[in-house]
Amino acid sequence: MRPLKLKLEAMGIKVLGWETRQVTGWGEAGTVLHPAVRWALHQEGDVIIDAGYGTAGAGTLHLLEGAGTASDLRVLAVINTARPATATVEDIIVHVRSLGRVDGLLNNTHLGEETTVDLIQAGARKVTAAARELNLPVVATAVMFELASFIGERDICGNPVRAIKRYMPMAFW
Amino acid sequence: MATRPVTGEQRAFMTGNEVVAWAALAAGADIMYGYPITPQNEIMHYWTRMAPKYERGFLQTEDEISAGFATVGGVLAGKRAFTATAGPGNVLMQEAMAMAEMMRLPTVVVVTQRGGPSTATVIYSQQELNLTCFGGNGEGLRIVYSPSSHDELFLYTIKAFNSAWKYRFPTFVLGDGYQSKMREPVTIFDPEARGITMEPCHPMVGLPGLPGEERDPAHLRNTYNLEDELYEVLMTAIKEYEAIAPQVVEWDTYAVDDAELLIIAHGVVSRAARAAVVSLRERGFKAGYFRPVTLKPFLAETLRPLAARARNLLVVESAYGQLKRQVQAGLYGLETPVTGYLRPGMGITPEEIVEFVHAKELI
Amino acid sequence: MAIAAQPQMPRVWRAETKPHKFCPGCGHGIVLKALGEAIDALDIQERTIFGCDIGCSLLSWDFFNLDTVQTHHGRTTPVLVGIKRARPELVVVSYMGDGGAYAIGAQHLVSSASRNDLVTIIVVNNTVYAMTGGQMAPTTLPGQKTETTPYGRDASLTGRPILGPELVAAIAPPGAYVARGSIANIVQLKNFIQKGLQNQLEGRGIAFIEALSSCPTNWHTNAAATWRFVEKEMTAYFPVGELRTPEEKAAGRLQEVPPRGFQS
Repeated sequence: MRPLKLKLEAMGIKVLGWETRQVTGWGEAGTVLHPAVRWALHQEGDVIIDAGYGTAGAGTLHLLEGAGTASDLRVLAVINTARPATATVEDIIVHVRSLGRVDGLLNNTHLGEETTVDLIQAGARKVTAAARELNLPVVATAVMFELASFIGERDICGNPVRAIKRYMPMAFW
Repeated sequence: MATRPVTGEQRAFMTGNEVVAWAALAAGADIMYGYPITPQNEIMHYWTRMAPKYERGFLQTEDEISAGFATVGGVLAGKRAFTATAGPGNVLMQEAMAMAEMMRLPTVVVVTQRGGPSTATVIYSQQELNLTCFGGNGEGLRIVYSPSSHDELFLYTIKAFNSAWKYRFPTFVLGDGYQSKMREPVTIFDPEARGITMEPCHPMVGLPGLPGEERDPAHLRNTYNLEDELYEVLMTAIKEYEAIAPQVVEWDTYAVDDAELLIIAHGVVSRAARAAVVSLRERGFKAGYFRPVTLKPFLAETLRPLAARARNLLVVESAYGQLKRQVQAGLYGLETPVTGYLRPGMGITPEEIVEFVHAKELI
Repeated sequence: MAIAAQPQMPRVWRAETKPHKFCPGCGHGIVLKALGEAIDALDIQERTIFGCDIGCSLLSWDFFNLDTVQTHHGRTTPVLVGIKRARPELVVVSYMGDGGAYAIGAQHLVSSASRNDLVTIIVVNNTVYAMTGGQMAPTTLPGQKTETTPYGRDASLTGRPILGPELVAAIAPPGAYVARGSIANIVQLKNFIQKGLQNQLEGRGIAFIEALSSCPTNWHTNAAATWRFVEKEMTAYFPVGELRTPEEKAAGRLQEVPPRGFQS
């Protein structure tokens, strides 16, 4: 994570979290909350929290101080319909209902390097249908920078498009 | 009646461990016995979440010894039973696998190699080749597949069940920690959609009919009193193993027809080997690549003519000679020199391989 | 077999493999007779799977007209648990000696007991590793001479005899059946075993029966001394009787409270 952390900090983004050498030896139990992360909601400015690995990421959110009461907090469920567990409208609904507090959905349908516009749009349809059923807004559809111009400002369901630049391939663990 | 977990073909994006869980579901695996060990834990995590929906079973046992023996029990009962392990867990698993070898039991074990020996790292290696191919106290009558991509991990997990039940030798899918944890696109499919019919399972105990009256009882043992008894049983199994080898072995080659340097690698390292060959060819060097997909049975005879045409062989692996030893044993008598780029527990890039090739003047 | 008088055998015994291979004076024959009678009484021959361990119990691999699997040392119970979990309609019997059950297989015993696995376990306790020549075993008595305790077992160095049924009785959840019988009272032993099989048939929980047994070959005893050892000396350490029955309620001290999770 270190090269990523440095890169983001150079862009003015403060990254809260463990450095690899601090968590070496913790194995796969490494979802221990960094103290700064635990109190992140009390920091000034915008805080973006990425919680989730494997099948139980959402649980950690409940450990943040003030998660129950922070008025500005928005919990977004990021959905990739190319993952079989959230591939159908029904599965998305079941998954989102299992997460506890969710304020909106974000369509992040992709297949890494093989992502196509059609795939993203098909994903948008499913996520939007699920959102309707759940009575939640679709906050945006995330599209890799390289494909964003092919879609435009809104996806096929009218959701706003957010172009994203991918840095994660730089990190492994 | 539970629904089918995968219909037709679907393109998806997931980690190797999730791929294994889906493949086992698609293959109709009935029950998984497992024990936690990194880096295969998510196989259990995904399986336990999805199993109830498709009416499959699961038991987390007290250790890998009992996971292996419970898997033995499951296949004896005539069910597609499987387990997964790595590292020190793989060491413990060998006891049950030796029993499976002796008794010709169709067990399926997914091994996600990590650094070794002992606890070492939880990350990655190709250091469990010896153990997975030969780990019991016998002759290693096993089938071992070494996939190099998620598409192959899916396909060979399904094939493992079929090979196990058709040929009755314990079968292994030899993955590694990198494949387990990385995400890449994969096509998951219902075997029927690709014309693959799952081999039927037959119980060895709990057969229909009253034993002793309507049929003979099944008296299964793995022990013999005299040398001759054992010899006869073993030679029957060995002959059968050798006879089915041509049907089982799989391999892949690239640019071998005029290759002066033949690079040999298996599993995820073969991606780097192939990329290295592409890179060398682009600069006019006649490199080729050979990749065993089945490590057991080992395809020495397929490799031999290719190796004979080359001037140098380079074995590349994330172990200290486990694949190289098999290559050398299989090619005994051939004069082509064999060099190794041996990096136990380390990932290998195409650039490293190319650099090594030039540094050692292999081409 | 064309002999004048056919000995009385349980129906489930396989006549073709009799006389059996156990030593003269061995208790296995008596325990297996009790088991055979219990299977006959419950009429479950068609769906019973018999598993045996390594050691003398191994000699029972072709004993019954039952589908049988001989396993590795200490691993009989996990193999049968694997069978039972895959095909719950079968009745599984795990037959072991004291070494397989209490030494190499102890962790499986502990876990099966905790899980209340639906398996009927029979442990034949003769205080030695007999097949391998009479070494000290988990149940060797203090002062007892064996091949690896030629001067008598020193409890301060090697511990005291393991009380297997007591161990299982202490940790198994309600629904378990745990008993210790003896070849000195075959009627009682057969009843214990039958109750143990019944426990599995009714889906109540684990069934564990230890049987005090004899090994004159490795004890180097004559008939009188053999019986004295089983009836007087072993019972001083290993009391006979039922320790757990499935109807008992859980003892009051522990309260089972479901976990609350994150929600407050």
